[in-house]
Amino acid sequence: MCGIIGAVGRGDETLDTLVHGLSKLEYRGYDSAGVALTGDRLDVCKQSGEIADLRAALESREMRGAAGIGHTRWSTHGPPTDANAHPHLDCTGDVAVVHNGIIENYQELRDRLVSAGHGFKSDTDTEVVPHLIEDALADGADPEAALREAVAHLEGSYAIAMVVAGEDTVYAARNDSPLVLGVSEDATYLASDVPAFRDFTDRVVYLADGEFATLSADGYRVSDVDGNPVEKTIDTVDWDPEETGKSGYDHYMLKEIHEQPRALRQCLRGRVDEMSGTVDIEDLGDLSPTAVQFVACGTSYHAALYGEQLFREAGIPAQTFLASEYATAVPPIGDALVVGVTQSGETADTLSALREARKRGARTLAVTNTVGSTAARECDHALYIRAGPEIGVAASKTFATQLAALNLLALGTTRADGARAAIAALRDLPGNVQSVLDSSNAGSVAETYVDAGAYFFIGRGAQFPVALEGALKMKEISYKHAEGFAAGELKHGPLALVTEDTPVFAVVTGDGEMATKTVGNVKEVEARDAPVVAVTDGQSDVERYADHVLEIPETHPRAAAVLANVQLQLVSYHVANELGRSIDKPRNLAKSVTVE
Amino acid sequence: MSIDTAVVLAAGEGTRLRPLTHNRPKPMLPAANRPILGYVFDALVAADVERIVVVVGYERDRVQDYFGPTYAGVELEYVVQHKQLGSGHALLQARTAVDGPMLVVNGDRVIDTSIVRDVATEFESAGAPTMAVLERPETAQYGAVVLHDGDVVELVEKPESDEYRLINAGVYAFEPSMFAAIDDTPRQAGELALTETITRLMDQGRVRGVRTEGMWVDATYPWDLLAVSDEVLARGHVESRRARPGERAEYDLDRADRVWVDTDATVHESAVLQGPVVVGPDCEVGPGAVVGPNAALGQNVTVGANVTVRRSVLDADTRIEAGSTLIDTVTGQDVRLGAGTVVPGGPADVRVGREVFEGQRLGAVLADRVVAEGAASFAPGTLVGPRARIGTAVRASGTVGEGAEVVR
Repeated sequence: MCGIIGAVGRGDETLDTLVHGLSKLEYRGYDSAGVALTGDRLDVCKQSGEIADLRAALESREMRGAAGIGHTRWSTHGPPTDANAHPHLDCTGDVAVVHNGIIENYQELRDRLVSAGHGFKSDTDTEVVPHLIEDALADGADPEAALREAVAHLEGSYAIAMVVAGEDTVYAARNDSPLVLGVSEDATYLASDVPAFRDFTDRVVYLADGEFATLSADGYRVSDVDGNPVEKTIDTVDWDPEETGKSGYDHYMLKEIHEQPRALRQCLRGRVDEMSGTVDIEDLGDLSPTAVQFVACGTSYHAALYGEQLFREAGIPAQTFLASEYATAVPPIGDALVVGVTQSGETADTLSALREARKRGARTLAVTNTVGSTAARECDHALYIRAGPEIGVAASKTFATQLAALNLLALGTTRADGARAAIAALRDLPGNVQSVLDSSNAGSVAETYVDAGAYFFIGRGAQFPVALEGALKMKEISYKHAEGFAAGELKHGPLALVTEDTPVFAVVTGDGEMATKTVGNVKEVEARDAPVVAVTDGQSDVERYADHVLEIPETHPRAAAVLANVQLQLVSYHVANELGRSIDKPRNLAKSVTVE
Repeated sequence: MSIDTAVVLAAGEGTRLRPLTHNRPKPMLPAANRPILGYVFDALVAADVERIVVVVGYERDRVQDYFGPTYAGVELEYVVQHKQLGSGHALLQARTAVDGPMLVVNGDRVIDTSIVRDVATEFESAGAPTMAVLERPETAQYGAVVLHDGDVVELVEKPESDEYRLINAGVYAFEPSMFAAIDDTPRQAGELALTETITRLMDQGRVRGVRTEGMWVDATYPWDLLAVSDEVLARGHVESRRARPGERAEYDLDRADRVWVDTDATVHESAVLQGPVVVGPDCEVGPGAVVGPNAALGQNVTVGANVTVRRSVLDADTRIEAGSTLIDTVTGQDVRLGAGTVVPGGPADVRVGREVFEGQRLGAVLADRVVAEGAASFAPGTLVGPRARIGTAVRASGTVGEGAEVVR
């Protein structure tokens, strides 16, 4: 996935506007970046590396133009080199194109274009687009028609923006990749995501698949595939542009870990009433599913595994699927509500899975952080987790709020006993998370085990997804080997990996049967001389077998999962920090993966 | 106003406010139901400051987490004072973040915007370092000031004699040359006090003192938070200027005079709110509860059925179970009081360290995450440390230490 930006009407500030926008999109990819500005001819600057490298390259350049496009890349076709960086040009150098997505039939198109005499300079799929446009322009089409004609050849997913020499206009097309317009008095913007232009306007227009847009200084025009005008509504985004600052922290991730109490308050605000034991979620109406299928990827998949348990506890059959598997081998859905959990609402695999479900007549619901996202718009219902913008690539506060939101979903759509106790526990969550943040010794645990060969995480029940998430976080930001297991699975294989060089993090809460069994698994580990770090509320006797203890407050078992996860987030953060990793932008990863 | 930058000093713990400052610095303690520092920011924003540099240190996460990168559209830049070596040393940390004239404000007292405006106006017309000066009957806790034709001619920290009637309000305006002046000031016992440098400037040239009025409220000891709350409520300074999603309090204006209830709070129809009273976002007030007068509930506070809360400040996430009575009480965050807890309130002799403060109107101070299991009672003037656990039917008194367990 990649980030794209376009701007018209910013006069001499066009270049600054584009580069600023790219810096806000860097979470979407950061292995190369570039910009193109229009004037009598096109002016392009592109560079492998982060936005900072592009800025440095721009230092020595005089670039001007009243309209322009920019791109920050996360490689799918071709390594991150200067040549593979966007924008890409046609043979004449009069057409520049940036693209997010994957063009599936690019090889075939490329072969045809090459044999027709077009010269290619990169390994990317994108480069076919400017050459297709070049041909259409040569046949006498105007730029808008040329883009339309070029796009007609493409199969796959794309958000494309284009500028043409001599025209103060940005042309765009969307299919299966996010694209949103920003509208202000005297300028118009487009981007993969709102933060790119949020400093300039809060009025936005979300493009739908198959739509084209033409942006000029005095406005925009949206049309469908056949060129018929489409009337669009202008939405207003309500969050503050400056939400995306680091507020004194070294890393966004640490800031976002610390924001969890506030994010949880926002998630729950106005939705729970402990006195009456009720949950009120605006968009869900009288939804009461008889079965649930979750589809999700990565961290969201772990949240979904947790959500599945909540429904099962309420007597509703529930299953969780990896979205990429679901989309290609759809299981029988029956009457199930299909719930896609996706922070960005743009995760390509999750969108595909939801679309497959819809095709089969299923009701769908998106659990997402992003108002106006594709998932939110395409599903029958949307439940917003209200975490606020998350910039760190490794999810932290959005996982916590996904868990809280899934509790709301289960409480709001099923009739389960003990709702009041669960609601009380949710209301206690922000304070309990603050308590963990105030007193955590995760930093010293991380220091102790920073050189370990691998890290294992075990848990049972609601703590199983936490174990998986703890391991994923460790992999993502520390680049160390880590695995999460259901505690009972350890002896069925993974125990062979356990040595004195592999600390095992055991999440054990409560003092019931589950805790007793997990403590039994901890003893198996301890007997193999592996160091044990217990994440516990102190109710079981796991501390007796642990080398270190990460304490969490005593609470409802559901809420304990959120608290245990905060401790594991902190451990991963501190390990990665000790190792000097690029915590907010881990290698090879991007925030929301909008390609399949 | 042409000074567009302010430096706010928010790095100090405020040790005399222990045990409430266990997890956060004094500027983050509540004045009524939101942090003192929020009022300082409000005063600066209302005076058209466009950029605020916040010097943080002790438990700085709390400041950064709560306020984030902006306040009411004004950029907040955080600089860190790693060791708390005096107010001058704190200001010095802002050196690289400031390149023009600046307002300098203590972040730990509730102030009115008029004080900020008066200092800025005087600074601009006089072109000299300026401090705000207030008339106060008691000057012993503060820096006493003597003015002569608007020039500060004497500055005495914590004077022992009672001849003074003016105090330094802790609101200043300086040129950036102030940083060099602090550099040149010899340290006293390893510390650099801003007032030391100001005294040197008085000797070298002139320092203007502008007489000002308006709300200026300070808390020295934990029970002072009750008086601070009284004053904020009396003046109706309840609403915050900030417009940050998730923190914004929106009060339901249809209620009775001086009864502020956030639109995201739930109050049972049979509960009675007696003004002045403020109920923050996400609070729940149960049937038959009587809250106020002079009660401030922070965010997400739960008041159970038939609870009485009078002249008290209950900070965020505090949970009071059914049938309890709290009078003249200050709770920290996340305090849990079981059913039938009683704090009868009233005058008490409060012991802090070796000092005894006689006749203070204080029921109890319960620091962050104190748990009382139920039917406990607190003798007037009881101070309970963070995470202490008070068993069922215990009668607590005096001082209970951090993390202590008290059983009957």
